[in-house]
Amino acid sequence: MKPSHPFFRGIFLFLPLFTVYDTYAQTPNDAVMMPLGDICILLNYDFGSFDEYWEGSKLRENATIAEVQRKTILPMVAVGIFKNANLYVGVPHVSTRSTEPNGGKFAGVEGFQDLGISLKYQALRKKMPGGELFLLSSVGFSTPASNYLADYMPYSLGFGAPELSVRGIMEHKWNNNMYFRTSIAHLWRGYAEAERDYYYSDGSRYSKYMDVPDAWSFEGVIGFRALGNSLRLELIYAAQRSSSGDNIRAYNAPQPTNRVDFDRWGLFAQYYFKDIKGLGVLAYHNRVFDGMNTGKINNTGFGVTYQFNFKKNEHVQ
Amino acid sequence: MYNKIIKNKQIAVIIFAMAILTTACERDIPYYMNFDSYAFTSTDENGGTWSHILPTAGDITIDAPSATNSVEYLAEIAAMKSAMQQTTPEQKKAIEYWTNNPIIRWNEIAVELISKYNLIPGPNADGTYTLPNAGNPNGPPPFPFANPPYAIRALAYLSVAQYDGMISAWNFKYAYNRAAPYQHDNTIAFAYPVNTIPSYPSDGAVIASASRRILSAMFPLEVEYLQQKENEHLESLFLSGGNVQSDIDAGKLIGNEIATRALSRAATDGMSKAQTPKPVSDSIKAAAFERFGWQWTNQENPVRPVGLTPLYGKVRMWNVANVEEVRPGPPPAIGSVEYLEDVKILKDYAANVTSERRRIANFWQDGLSTFTPPGHWNRITKEYLVAYEFNPLRSARTFAYLNMAIMDAGISCWDAKYYYHYPRPIEMIDGFKTIIGTPNFPAYTSGHSTFSAAAAEVLSYVFPEESDQVWTWAEEAANSRVYGGIHWTFDANVGMEQGKTVAEYAVNRARLDGAD
Repeated sequence: MKPSHPFFRGIFLFLPLFTVYDTYAQTPNDAVMMPLGDICILLNYDFGSFDEYWEGSKLRENATIAEVQRKTILPMVAVGIFKNANLYVGVPHVSTRSTEPNGGKFAGVEGFQDLGISLKYQALRKKMPGGELFLLSSVGFSTPASNYLADYMPYSLGFGAPELSVRGIMEHKWNNNMYFRTSIAHLWRGYAEAERDYYYSDGSRYSKYMDVPDAWSFEGVIGFRALGNSLRLELIYAAQRSSSGDNIRAYNAPQPTNRVDFDRWGLFAQYYFKDIKGLGVLAYHNRVFDGMNTGKINNTGFGVTYQFNFKKNEHVQ
Repeated sequence: MYNKIIKNKQIAVIIFAMAILTTACERDIPYYMNFDSYAFTSTDENGGTWSHILPTAGDITIDAPSATNSVEYLAEIAAMKSAMQQTTPEQKKAIEYWTNNPIIRWNEIAVELISKYNLIPGPNADGTYTLPNAGNPNGPPPFPFANPPYAIRALAYLSVAQYDGMISAWNFKYAYNRAAPYQHDNTIAFAYPVNTIPSYPSDGAVIASASRRILSAMFPLEVEYLQQKENEHLESLFLSGGNVQSDIDAGKLIGNEIATRALSRAATDGMSKAQTPKPVSDSIKAAAFERFGWQWTNQENPVRPVGLTPLYGKVRMWNVANVEEVRPGPPPAIGSVEYLEDVKILKDYAANVTSERRRIANFWQDGLSTFTPPGHWNRITKEYLVAYEFNPLRSARTFAYLNMAIMDAGISCWDAKYYYHYPRPIEMIDGFKTIIGTPNFPAYTSGHSTFSAAAAEVLSYVFPEESDQVWTWAEEAANSRVYGGIHWTFDANVGMEQGKTVAEYAVNRARLDGAD
């Protein structure tokens, strides 16, 4: 059976900072499909931190928060529910803190962030001269899985609002094991619920609801396979542009209404053991290099995947 | 094939459900309170005899208006009617926005500016701090930093000017007794519920001019914005059919005269000296250490050299002759049994952040970039004024006594803060962390508690039916600081008593002002 491994890529596409913790709904953004009846389990650990952030478009430090750190453990399950459709379900557990010393003495928080469900559908797979073309789309939905307070930035676990994402994915694979993939998604966000009924966002706002800006998300990837498909390496550029939102105010905390933009590059690697059926490991590193109202965050993650087929009750490769 | 259809249907249903959950409930997030103009519960014919707050407010006079059958007046009516016929949709919206109780709107404008300017200056690259400077309002940093002491002072002067202006307006309304234009000419469709209150001078114009002047002085970078607001408001008064031009001009005159008097008090009330240089601040701190053996020190990084307005306690009070009269006794000594008990309580709250305590800490936080606790109580008051259908005179009176009491409570609180100079929990408890920000001034007593108890005391007097509710809220506001980890329980408890005691002075004065 053809290996169908590396679909957990772009994990933590959105780990960067203040509002964009959501990652997970974006996960299924590659071009690889699992066969019907396959299940893959992922356990991923991620560490992200930043000691500079963009207040509006001005990069700054802030000794009140010193370096903000975020640890995320993500258990996730992917299922090949139909011949051309994969389902993904996961819920990250996040903890945040500032390094010592810091001037603010704020308590970090921990807990489950957002439950995410997404569905990826392969619309087209076509042999081309010298390679193969794939067109896919995915739809994701996430919503807070605990009563975490979004209005506690930069420590809050997430932006606190439901999100619907629709992504289009195109991948071209050459016969020499190189591939190029690009995707674009729109993220519709709902409202975060604050624990106050008045806040400032370009004026007085008499409500406990904070409008989390919708956003566009882009990705461009160059990858290649080696060691007979066991190893996959990718160089990734990812970006987000909010459709609206306000700026972080001077020397003030961010809030869910902020316009969050970023540009990021990253490396991703995944390896499937030949000797142990279904077992794989992955690692990645991402660096935000430009942005607005977001941390200049670097994050690194490691994961283990295990894939099997429940129908045939046997391991795949 | 059949299976495929089923499958696609399921997928479609899932996507549709997700879409609904995410986006179907578009919410309205209002910029101001939505309410309709209402019929006032009273006209208060004798309102002109109520006691002024500012001693010089009584000597403002305006000329007698032209008679209602004079050529002059009829020409004014004709001009108004003709303008009303050309009202644009935008002007109609403005009339609706301002309502017949524009005290509410000017109060909202004030708290919005407070939120806008309530940003603490950050450090410079070399670790120093530059403070906002009234002499150079553009900064950086911009002037003012509308922290709670600054905010409540702005609100107090605004409300006092509005109230004294309303008393003057009411005085001349019933002295000259010129009925509203729509009372003479039934072809005029008044935009608001009709009433029998005479229209000369226009109370709306008094409010517009006085408010614009006071807020322009408090927020010098907003002069243009405020002038635009005043112009829009004055135009709405005219186009509503409630005031001819001479009503408005007389109101503007009173508004400006009152504002001048209020601002002259403000210029000499001691606020300009409240933010001290470092040597003064150091000596205040040293005096406390000598007296009590403890001292508060800023924990920020880089350290802020001076706390917030160390001499705010010396600002002139409205209703208390001497701040020491209302100064509470000392807090528990560091290391005493009572103190250690508090350390235990605070550690327990920090280790067990329940959703209810977190909610309370956040709901009443009213920190940076918000309207501050005084603004929060103004917001609550505004809702009562509308619910109880108060006229502008009574609305102004409520805000005036409310904000004088809160400001006096703040002055008394700051007196205690810098007299006792008591440290914050993060200084005393090793590794202690908070869920809200620790402010840049000593702990004892809690500002939130004194502000809130003062507000509750005045609101209980004005709205006796709401007494239980407002005291419940005040207690919540006081406790919120302890739940947040930035105050000791005695900061909150003593602050509550202090706020109530101070506000009693205001209430005692109010009882005698002729309104009851």
